[in-house]
Amino acid sequence: MAVLNLAPGETPVARPDPWVLLADGEAPTVGAHVIVPFARFKVEHNELLAKAAAVGVAIGGADVVEELAPWVARLQLVLLQFGVFKDGRLFTSARLLRERFGFRGDLRATGDFIPDQAVFLLRSGVTSLEVGEAFPVETLARVVRAYSVRYQRALDPQPVIIDQRLQGNGA
Amino acid sequence: MYIYDKFDQTIVRERVAAFRDQVARRLAGELDEDHFRPLRLMNGLYLQLHAYMLRVAIPYGTLSSAQLRRLAYIARKYDRGYGHFTTRQNIQYNWIKLEEAPDILSDLADVQMHGIQTSGNCIRNVTADHFSGVAGDEIDDPRVTSEILRQWSTFHPEFSFLPRKFKIAVTGAAHDRAAIKFHDIGIQVVRGPDGEVGYAIYAGGGMGRTPVVAPLIRGYLPKAELLSYVEAILRVYNRYGRRDNIYKARIKILVREIGAAEFTRQVEEEWKLIRTTGVNLPAAEEARIRRFFAPPPYDTIAEPVASLTQAKAASPAFARWIETNVHTHKVPGYAIVTISLKPPGGIPGDASAEQMEAIADLADRYSFAEIRVSHIQNLILPNVKQADLFAIWQALGKIGFADANAGLIGDIIACPGLDYCALANARSIPISQAISERFADPARSAEIGPLQIKISGCINACGHHHAGHIGILGVDRAGEELYQITLGGAADQTAEIGALIGPGFKSADAVDAIERIVDTYLKLRQPGEEFLVAYRRLGQAPFKEAAYGRA
Repeated sequence: MAVLNLAPGETPVARPDPWVLLADGEAPTVGAHVIVPFARFKVEHNELLAKAAAVGVAIGGADVVEELAPWVARLQLVLLQFGVFKDGRLFTSARLLRERFGFRGDLRATGDFIPDQAVFLLRSGVTSLEVGEAFPVETLARVVRAYSVRYQRALDPQPVIIDQRLQGNGA
Repeated sequence: MYIYDKFDQTIVRERVAAFRDQVARRLAGELDEDHFRPLRLMNGLYLQLHAYMLRVAIPYGTLSSAQLRRLAYIARKYDRGYGHFTTRQNIQYNWIKLEEAPDILSDLADVQMHGIQTSGNCIRNVTADHFSGVAGDEIDDPRVTSEILRQWSTFHPEFSFLPRKFKIAVTGAAHDRAAIKFHDIGIQVVRGPDGEVGYAIYAGGGMGRTPVVAPLIRGYLPKAELLSYVEAILRVYNRYGRRDNIYKARIKILVREIGAAEFTRQVEEEWKLIRTTGVNLPAAEEARIRRFFAPPPYDTIAEPVASLTQAKAASPAFARWIETNVHTHKVPGYAIVTISLKPPGGIPGDASAEQMEAIADLADRYSFAEIRVSHIQNLILPNVKQADLFAIWQALGKIGFADANAGLIGDIIACPGLDYCALANARSIPISQAISERFADPARSAEIGPLQIKISGCINACGHHHAGHIGILGVDRAGEELYQITLGGAADQTAEIGALIGPGFKSADAVDAIERIVDTYLKLRQPGEEFLVAYRRLGQAPFKEAAYGRA
């Protein structure tokens, strides 16, 4: 597995990554960067936040992000686990975490997604991707640049078409 | 009509390049079919029974003559010389090669067209009243709203992987010609308490195996808040629509399972949180889009138009066509012409490249170079001088499209059925052809009056059979095609789902059953009473008895 940064206008490159996803029942090492499933976090959040250097929570499409909201300020990472790439709920979860609950940490996608979805992920607030060895990184580098303009306001900072038109740049 | 600026043009150009890249990866094996499927579907490319099918969007049914000529060119160059206009204001080509699909999209981009989001689990081509901008009963031109929605929904970062497809339709008039209550979201332009223009919002309608007439979820929405409200609906649906079963994944099931009141509550709650976050369109941008739909430079013409009166008197066939296929225009001296793509024995909605080019020529000469596509699978010349109607009728006669049957029994909606479609259980086209031939006599069909027959070749109901005054559903029973008949459906503002009358008929018997139903109507109707009105008065019993030969 490799972790790629995902940022507007940048080529996604692998970066060192300190995070470990704890196995069921595995205790956090003091000073580690640990990710736990949301169900476990709900039960053990006090211990986890006390012991680990940094805590991340893994959520799936069915998890309700409102339940995570009280903790987002103390989380350094949220992992969006795509069971199937067609599970579009996580795009909404990502936006809500950023826009409504003010999550500022790393928002990472993992699991079954394809390079062509990276632009949608980026625009929904995702900042890194965890990918397997077979993931076509070169394709990803190409397709994240496929579109130079966009209609909707979202989490990427580029100006949207409406704003450019209002500035008289459409003709 | 709306003309792309450099941004709209850039998006479709970049889309062509992105799709070319996707096709290359598929052909190289980098993408498997499972992961390629949603990508090609979002470009309108289906894998059908015999070949790939490409579905091209005709947003809210508005076409320029140049665009129609390009559609003809594509039919000739990449397909077998014809195309099929669909119930969703798209055109489908049925014999496409995957390798050529990027070139077709490039040819379409040249004339500001595309196949974006004509398929897949995303927000589909937005449809609207085909008489937009020219109907006298309109409060506002629904194409303004539709174009706003088109841009907002194109490659939406949050709503491109929905539980299921999502269809939005818009009407600008109380008389619903866009079947809005059978859509995931139906939008009707209305006047608010103080006379200002806004929207009534319906949600959770649809056809398919679970037909639902959409409930009203908001009686009045200020015009400026359209996008935030629609976004709230989509967000609730994207989060809570079912993903465990594709047959239960449409928004109508969510609305039904939690109830319209609870669904509305969730939407309103979400809306409160996003209505001031910058989703709504700035007024200046709305005004920019609106300018494209300004009326063309009409002449001042006094009615009645003498040459029209004389031509009608001289030709009963022409007078009959005027009666059925020509509609009142909001401007005196002008008319709206429905070009019936339903010749008796023909395939509903099919047009050859030559026919498309001839219609493009007519639009150039007589209708400000504009054509509309209706969900009833006909083409419309929206801005015709009444004095030109006779010449247009004669020209249409030369291409076989002068039938006086718009809105009558021969004006059948039919899906492609088992002749093309991989999902179908039965053929739709032959039964449609048999019915239109049986009722080909124009005098007889005029005598029957308004009657909508709609035919689907499977339960997915692309042929809108649930909304047919007479609906026909093809089913497969142990390898034999059977046709079930429903009665009493309606797609307009009185939307209703037709009721099944009983067991299906063999294809050879189905047309006879339809004829007996029609004869029963003729026998029982009161003077001037249309089929649907008579059915609603009489109930199903006499028609059912007649259909099964027990009358």
